[in-house]
Amino acid sequence: MSSKSGRRLARGRVFRAAAGLFAAAWLVTAVPTAARADNSPDAALARLLAEARSAAAVPGACAEPGADRLDHVLCAGRIRVGVRDEYPLFGTLSGTIRQGYEIDMARAVARRLGVEAAFVKVKAATRIPMLADDTIDLVVATMGDNTQRESQVRFIRPHYYRSETMLVGPRDLAVADWKDIQGLTVCVTVGNASNAELVSHGARLMLFDEAVTLPERLVDQTCTLAAQDDSFFDYYFTDPDFAARFSEKFGFGPMPWGMGVAQTGSDRLARVLDLMSQMFHRDGVFLAAARANHIGTGFLAEQQELWARPGCDTQFGSAVAACVLPPANAELQPTPFAGGVAVFENWFAGLTGVDLQLPMLKTAPAWSLFLSGVVNSLILIAGALGATLAFALLFGPAMAARSPLLRWPARAITVALQSSPILLTLVIAAAVMHALVPNSPSVALCAAIAALGLANGSNAGQAISEAYLTLRVERGELPGGGVGLFSRALSRAATQIVAFLINAAKGTPIASFIGAPELLSALTDITSFSSGRATTYTLLLVFYTAVVIAVVWLCRRFQGFLERSHAAA
Amino acid sequence: MSPLIARLWHFLPAFLAGMSVNFEIAGIALAFGLALGILLALARLQGGATGMAAGTIVGLMRAAPTFVVMFFLLNALPRGGGLSGVMIVALSLMPYAAAYVADSGVDALRQLRAGSHLACLLVLPNVARAFFVLVMSSSAGAAIGVREGIAVLLRQAQQVPSLGDMLILFAIGVACFGIPLQAGFAIIRLIQRHLGRVALRGQAAPLTGEAALSAKR
Repeated sequence: MSSKSGRRLARGRVFRAAAGLFAAAWLVTAVPTAARADNSPDAALARLLAEARSAAAVPGACAEPGADRLDHVLCAGRIRVGVRDEYPLFGTLSGTIRQGYEIDMARAVARRLGVEAAFVKVKAATRIPMLADDTIDLVVATMGDNTQRESQVRFIRPHYYRSETMLVGPRDLAVADWKDIQGLTVCVTVGNASNAELVSHGARLMLFDEAVTLPERLVDQTCTLAAQDDSFFDYYFTDPDFAARFSEKFGFGPMPWGMGVAQTGSDRLARVLDLMSQMFHRDGVFLAAARANHIGTGFLAEQQELWARPGCDTQFGSAVAACVLPPANAELQPTPFAGGVAVFENWFAGLTGVDLQLPMLKTAPAWSLFLSGVVNSLILIAGALGATLAFALLFGPAMAARSPLLRWPARAITVALQSSPILLTLVIAAAVMHALVPNSPSVALCAAIAALGLANGSNAGQAISEAYLTLRVERGELPGGGVGLFSRALSRAATQIVAFLINAAKGTPIASFIGAPELLSALTDITSFSSGRATTYTLLLVFYTAVVIAVVWLCRRFQGFLERSHAAA
Repeated sequence: MSPLIARLWHFLPAFLAGMSVNFEIAGIALAFGLALGILLALARLQGGATGMAAGTIVGLMRAAPTFVVMFFLLNALPRGGGLSGVMIVALSLMPYAAAYVADSGVDALRQLRAGSHLACLLVLPNVARAFFVLVMSSSAGAAIGVREGIAVLLRQAQQVPSLGDMLILFAIGVACFGIPLQAGFAIIRLIQRHLGRVALRGQAAPLTGEAALSAKR
């Protein structure tokens, strides 16, 4: 081999080595860059939309029965979006003008898809059925993502907003924590998942159908506090008068909000929206819309940072657990016999056509509340009857006493108790009890027993004293008196005593007003987080009427006993 | 002016306006109760199946607790049947009023058939008594947000700082409810006494006449 050819060979080796190094360097740098570019949500979205547009362009594809909703949207050139029209700052309709954060979002989605947004009004109760029956393609309507709804709707991830339930009340009312809300009247909307939490902390709930009623009830002081999404109150705090009178106390139960599509036939539409949602967070589209509509931006700022991270900013980012929020847990543990109850409800509905619902038997928290409500009601009734009898036996002799020192105070107390509506007597008893011992449901129960006993016992005592005085007049100066005369007075006043005992039993449900955990209170709590209000309150009426009838029967036997004992004497 | 007196100065007009709602509720409840109660009383006096059915209805209405009936009307009817809070409270008091009127009405009609017009007239003070009971019971409306007297009182009580001031407010509330109530009961007693005297005179007159006849014989 000549030296020339040797040098050529060497040059060739050097060239090949350099080419190899270049290729290796390209492999190390260029190929991953390309791969990363392909893995971006932008590229994935572009690919999916291109495929869908090609498919939609095929003749007859738009009429294909099994086609995805995405194909229908592209074929029709519009997306039907279910939105709210009475939710300030999020979705409102004024004349023909729609505005709000969710409206801006829906328009951004339609723009990316290259179609028009056709808005359809939805309400909380109709938004999911309207998706299912193909009235709308997409819902963007203040819908919280919880475990219950996960089986009804395909939620788009990442979520576009997060709210929490906020307690709002007068500025000068010191409420900072759960311990401060026990016994306070909190106005809520029926079916709100956060109601169960309020109930468990001893709040007294007042239920309303519509959220818009809550600020009005705060202003007219019907409610001490109101609980609703912070997003809802955002609008009211833009009113200087409202903001001057009320303040946010504390929030709880964070709830991510998601766009939603139908569970079936919307896989590709959902995938496209997942990717779009990621990009909207990363690029600040959501954040800008939130700022433009003056809603809270804390969550969206966090999300923008999160979705800009390489770990999340991929085409599969919406499936990465560390990037997306889990749905709020709204599942209540069922009772062991919940299945049987559902079968019975269906059988009853089939037989009678009546939609019977028994929420108190279907979930463990409701069942527990129901059982304790029944037990507490029976304790309350027994206690009220006992207290009425005891106060009657105390007031009767005192009012008939010869000593004015005993007679006049007893009469004054009786007149005062007769002049006080029972609700006021209850509240006074509760206020005095709370001044002596810390507030609790059992203290409220004791206060109710004392109030019902005093109110009815003083009246029954007056009847005894009147009977005692008539007997004294009849007997004149004849010997006798003491215990014998008193037992005759009891017998003579038996009808009145029984009437006030029945009245005490009938009055027990009013104890729920001061937070006594009896059945009315328990069922109000149960219906605040479940359905079946009509059935529940009908059963409540039947329960109390039956109990009062039983008390009437028992009292009549007691009256008979009193009269027989008098006859024997 | 002390803070409590200043508070009372603003509170009393609102409280009296609230109390007028109590009287309004009682008036409506009594009107409904009279209409239904008289029908039930007439049905009971007919006897037979109609009388039994009317008796059962009266028994059930007597046993139904007002507070529960109020929550039943509010929650079991869709959107409260479109009724106002005042009307819901009035309707919840109607079963009590109707049962009371039916019971008193049966007694009165029996007395009338027996020829005792004065005993029959005792139904009037009984109805007046029922009216005052209804006024007191209408305070249940506070539980569903009706702006009656006790609701106004309780809202005011939430704003006073001490238990002592709160009890003063409650005492004023008791006095405001108590004065018309006790005055009403006093008038009822006067009417009853007057009727009693008229009845005694009625009994005495025929006796005097008979005695005169005996003397002539």
